[in-house]
Amino acid sequence: MRISGMLLAAALGVTSSLMSLGAHAEDKVLKIGQLGVMSGPSASWGLVSRYSAEALAGMINDEGGLSIGDDKYKIEIVSVDDKLDIRAAIAGIERLAYQDKVKYVIGPNVDDPSVAILPVLEAAGVFNISYGFTKELFMEPNKNTALGMIATYQTAPVVYKWLADNKGVKTVSFVSWNGVGGKANLDSGLDAAKKVGLEVLSSDAVYELGTTDFFPVMGGVVKANPDLIVLSGVSPAEAPLLIRAARELGYQGLMSTETAQDAKVLEEVAGSLANGFISLGGASSPELQSEYMAKFRDRYVQVAGEWNDEAGTKVYALYMLLKTIEAAGPKAVDDIEAFKASLPQFETANPFIKDQSVKLRWVGNSWFGQPRQISVPMVINEYRDGGFQTLFVTSVE
Amino acid sequence: MTQALINGLVLGANYALMALGLTLIFALMGVLNFAHGQLYVLGGFVTYYVFTVMGLPFVVAVLASIVVLAIVGFLFDALFFRRVQQRSAREESSMLLAAGLALLLESLILLGFGEKQRGVALSVSGVYQIFDAYVPASRVVVFVVAMLAVVLFILFMRHTKPGRVLRAIAQDRDVTALQGVNIALYSGVGFAIGSALAGLAGSLLVTIFAVNSGMGTAISIKAFIMVMLGGAGIVSGAIVGAFVLGMVEALGYAFLPGSVTYLVIFVGLILFLVIRPNGIMGKPWG
Amino acid sequence: MIRSNQVWAFLILALVYIVGVPFIVESRYILGILASAAGLSIIALGAWLTLAIGRVNLGQGAFALVGGYVVAIATTRWGVSFWLAIVVAGFISAAVGVVLGLGILRLRGVYFAMITLSFTEAVRLALLNGGEFTGGAGGISRIPVPGELSLLGVTIIPAFNSVNTHVASFVLSGVLLALAVLLCWRISACRIGGVFVSMQQSEELAQSVGVNITHLRIVAFGIGSFLGGIGGGYFAAAQQSVYPGGFGVPDSVSLVLYCFLGGIGYVAGPVVGTFLLFLGFQFLQDFQQYQMLAYSLLMVALMIWLPNGVLSLSEAGWIRRYRSQHGQAGAHHAG
Repeated sequence: MRISGMLLAAALGVTSSLMSLGAHAEDKVLKIGQLGVMSGPSASWGLVSRYSAEALAGMINDEGGLSIGDDKYKIEIVSVDDKLDIRAAIAGIERLAYQDKVKYVIGPNVDDPSVAILPVLEAAGVFNISYGFTKELFMEPNKNTALGMIATYQTAPVVYKWLADNKGVKTVSFVSWNGVGGKANLDSGLDAAKKVGLEVLSSDAVYELGTTDFFPVMGGVVKANPDLIVLSGVSPAEAPLLIRAARELGYQGLMSTETAQDAKVLEEVAGSLANGFISLGGASSPELQSEYMAKFRDRYVQVAGEWNDEAGTKVYALYMLLKTIEAAGPKAVDDIEAFKASLPQFETANPFIKDQSVKLRWVGNSWFGQPRQISVPMVINEYRDGGFQTLFVTSVE
Repeated sequence: MTQALINGLVLGANYALMALGLTLIFALMGVLNFAHGQLYVLGGFVTYYVFTVMGLPFVVAVLASIVVLAIVGFLFDALFFRRVQQRSAREESSMLLAAGLALLLESLILLGFGEKQRGVALSVSGVYQIFDAYVPASRVVVFVVAMLAVVLFILFMRHTKPGRVLRAIAQDRDVTALQGVNIALYSGVGFAIGSALAGLAGSLLVTIFAVNSGMGTAISIKAFIMVMLGGAGIVSGAIVGAFVLGMVEALGYAFLPGSVTYLVIFVGLILFLVIRPNGIMGKPWG
Repeated sequence: MIRSNQVWAFLILALVYIVGVPFIVESRYILGILASAAGLSIIALGAWLTLAIGRVNLGQGAFALVGGYVVAIATTRWGVSFWLAIVVAGFISAAVGVVLGLGILRLRGVYFAMITLSFTEAVRLALLNGGEFTGGAGGISRIPVPGELSLLGVTIIPAFNSVNTHVASFVLSGVLLALAVLLCWRISACRIGGVFVSMQQSEELAQSVGVNITHLRIVAFGIGSFLGGIGGGYFAAAQQSVYPGGFGVPDSVSLVLYCFLGGIGYVAGPVVGTFLLFLGFQFLQDFQQYQMLAYSLLMVALMIWLPNGVLSLSEAGWIRRYRSQHGQAGAHHAG
């Protein structure tokens, strides 16, 4: 037995404590944290968040920074990879909160880590924008988490109603992935189908994240031949494979999902088989986007190397955080209480879309009992030949 | 039912391609290559890049994948495995080295090819109907090419000089060395062929399954199951293991809820290996 | 044999670490990752014990999952005290390990590695499909922090929520780790330890000396599983939640990697390896998108440079010279 190992461990502890003393925030820099999955099979979720935040921060900094009170702040994005792992997510949020002294965080991307970091948010006084859909995250007693996009339970009723009215859909089958997010999405989809009066033919088709061959999963679903197949909470990576499997198995009906997808991925993997696929979009489709959005798009390409349609939704998180801090005044820079107090009345123009009649606000009262959701416009898209076409636009409230 | 059986058959052929390279490297080097899945992914990305981004014919893309992966495999052996195997006190070190290389390769692929799912849409369209089951033409093409590759590989191992030397090394390294064979060179060649097979698998299957930078570990685990099922280091075993896994998976998904299929597969594998550790084809290499 | 001055040195060092670090380190983040490193070290020590009998154990993640779920279910559903639950978690994991070990411990090399890897996946999938009992994909959350432990009305350990929870978790992880190290040290230093070393070289030889190795292997594997369960139980309480994906194949592989990179010839190997790599990964955060690349490069470089572990540095020439000058015994494996 050698004790040098123990000594080394102790030395590491000392070094690390010195490192923590050495970290100082520079003046007039507003650090915004970003916590999300940026490696492994789901890396695209977190990386799109990150690239969106970096691109927008770059644009704001180039314009001289953000005015808060009398000061100009440069925006700095601090990113931490949670690897879709609970231990890493907790370590990550503690790093952001205690080491980098960040008060506002974008992410995590899914439910489990979002739930796991709640105690840290509470203890450290950190506010985050989550992309998990679990309602409890945004309800009392939790006050420090807001939803950054539109949840399945909000989109599903709207989409199904539209499909029932316009496409004569009467029967539906569901396909979902085995996980918290998948199950929650499935339940809210089933709920919505019931409300709209659709007949549910099947909902037991479940696949593992990371599945490559969807023939076996899709076989039974296609056999029942529903008017509509809903891919519940499907990730951009798996959507085209599921679509392709269904089409190759001879399915002719409609397919939809309530999550955001990427046109390029659909085109490359499913090709023309994806035509007619209905999904949720950001404000990036050409007929909707403003000049500012086009500028953001260029900037995003500079940062990430390639545009991703998911960024059209993800860009709102940083924008809303910054604009709300700006409106709430200098106090909100270090104190999320001032920030939270200003949420109910905050309102600003939406620079990303042409239509200026709709304002950006913090919504969600009717869903969560408190304004804890960004009013991202609900854009329902249809995929056709390499791009999205807007079917209709609506809002959460 | 017919659909499930046909799915299993097609899946089995694809899986066989995944398992071959792994079993070859295991037979030659005694290394369970944890980086196998990442090599597969790299093969898929190279094909994507050459075919979709550079716009070259698909055949060129497949060849590019094979060549690139062969080089990567040779370098893996020359730079990493040979050194660790010479100096480590425990032979398991090489297995762990492979796990480290898997992580390295994965992060390089993520940096180089990005986070998006990538696919290659072949211009083979159409769907065949066999009884009441559907088989897309693209899968038939891949099935045929996969089977062809497997046959070519077996012929190479049986009837060429390098193939015979590799088999001799797999059977008894020390005796082969005594006969004046350059073991270091041939280990490198073996590693290159094993990796090229992984690359070929990725290259062909990217047309059906698509690839993303993080899917390597899942592929490795699948390949492990097939190799262990058939008997580690035995080519025919890997092929049998692949078809068994393909069948069980297809039938499982047809009749069991969701991930219970893989629970059954893993529990089954444990029980099977306890009873028969050498796998289905449990006899020496060759 | 363990000399008593070595034990004292270790105890003092452990005490300095457990008591001293919370005084110096104010950052909760640093305390948190040190505690996680200690928790993982406990599980890694279990993997090390199996390595000591010549088996690569990729099932340690599964035992940690089992331990975590035992603590989660016992504390949230049945109101059992954490202090009882974590002990039970250790023993249940050990029992699972013994049952599994009876079937698989005669296998070696890649076969053993693959079976234990399959076991990790099987346990994860079983928990995922466990329905109400395991909470399915959502796992079990709202696990209470450890409460008060008192004996005859005297508080031995205060309730965690009555003190600084971060410090309390850190201390708990430190104490558990010190106990785990002592346990493994004791095992490797007694006669069994010598048998272990000979078993790594040749099981037939060990058998011929008249040792019941079948029995010993089961014992070693059982204790390893016990440590996995304890570590998992610790994480359940520290994170207040458990999920099927909490430990998976990548974790099981990492744990064995920690052992190898620390040095499997040394009891301190797994601990050094875990602290070095786990903390290393955290500190490489500043590399941002190159973090994973830097980490994997570090790992591969360590393996090439020191294939027998970081601690094998201590057998380098200059240390050996130092030792011989000071009349200490040369490097010896595992005590």
